[in-house]
Amino acid sequence: MAQETVYLKLEKDVEIDSEDVFVKDIGKIYCSDTTIASRCKAIKVAKIREGDEQKKVISVMKVIELMKKECPGIEVENIGEMDTLIEKVNVLTSKNWKQVLKIIFVALVSFFGTAFTIMAFHNDIGIQELFSKIHELIMGEPSNGCTILEVAYSIGLASGIILFFNHIGGRRITKDPTPIEVEMRVYEREVNDALIETADREGKTIDVS
Amino acid sequence: MTFLKHVFLAVFGVAAGVGVSGGVFTSLIAVGLIPRFAGKTHTGERVFLYEEMVVLGTILGNIISVFDPFIKPFLHLQGSGVAVLIIYGFFAGTFVGCLALAIAEMLNSIPIFARRIGFRHGLGITILFMAIAKALGSLLYFAKGFYIQ
Repeated sequence: MAQETVYLKLEKDVEIDSEDVFVKDIGKIYCSDTTIASRCKAIKVAKIREGDEQKKVISVMKVIELMKKECPGIEVENIGEMDTLIEKVNVLTSKNWKQVLKIIFVALVSFFGTAFTIMAFHNDIGIQELFSKIHELIMGEPSNGCTILEVAYSIGLASGIILFFNHIGGRRITKDPTPIEVEMRVYEREVNDALIETADREGKTIDVS
Repeated sequence: MTFLKHVFLAVFGVAAGVGVSGGVFTSLIAVGLIPRFAGKTHTGERVFLYEEMVVLGTILGNIISVFDPFIKPFLHLQGSGVAVLIIYGFFAGTFVGCLALAIAEMLNSIPIFARRIGFRHGLGITILFMAIAKALGSLLYFAKGFYIQ
């Protein structure tokens, strides 16, 4: 029998909602022999019980070992990540009122926080005197606090942030991800890297001995 | 001529607004505060809502601070004003507290310090003491009137 090559592509992080973690949950598998592929996909790699730590890191070495045990004589080629972070999420409880409260909390912090930030900034630079000076320079008399300059500034500020964040009322202006979405991915990647590193250092990675 | 001057002021104002929003929000994004909120609360799918809130909050703050003399008459809430003050103060304080530590962390001051003095445990206590100190400092600042020159 010719030696079959199984291509394995591990994901960096996965979220699962069942107790048992199978190979198909943590990565993609390709093999020209579909029987081998489906047998490899159905290998159980870990079990996360209710009381256990909800995060587990599994090394590709362990996956290869299990696959070789299941189908002896195959060649495994990993083209994905070296370690996968498995996170167990509870689908039932993730949509309850606690989640709603959290969303409201973050929304309020973002709203009042940025209102405070921009007011503090305006206070810092003394925007009313500044506008008054500019108005006096051009028009010859100080601003009364609500001239075309202030109105134009406000319009400019609003259009600037809308351009910056790239959407109005839930509708995207262009197809690009917004800056916060980009930052979000960067942050997620850094957290996952840190978790994988920590598990490795503490020797908690599920690995071959 | 007056018309031209008005046009100039309008162009100047719009340019100033776009410039300020670009500067203020680039630094806000660079600190990465809102992704962190979303990550901590596992509500990443609501990032859109949070961005909307950032936009609306900025517009509100801008209106209050730029058109201050004109909106004052509309903002006298009397009794219910206390509730607004409590809500506003609490959430603005939360945001500023996170911002302060996020900036400190972005400059890597805590990791560098921890490495230099070689400590491995007790980071949680350090953070707790920082929070207590910030709250005390803030109370002292307002109680003693440090802002009065």
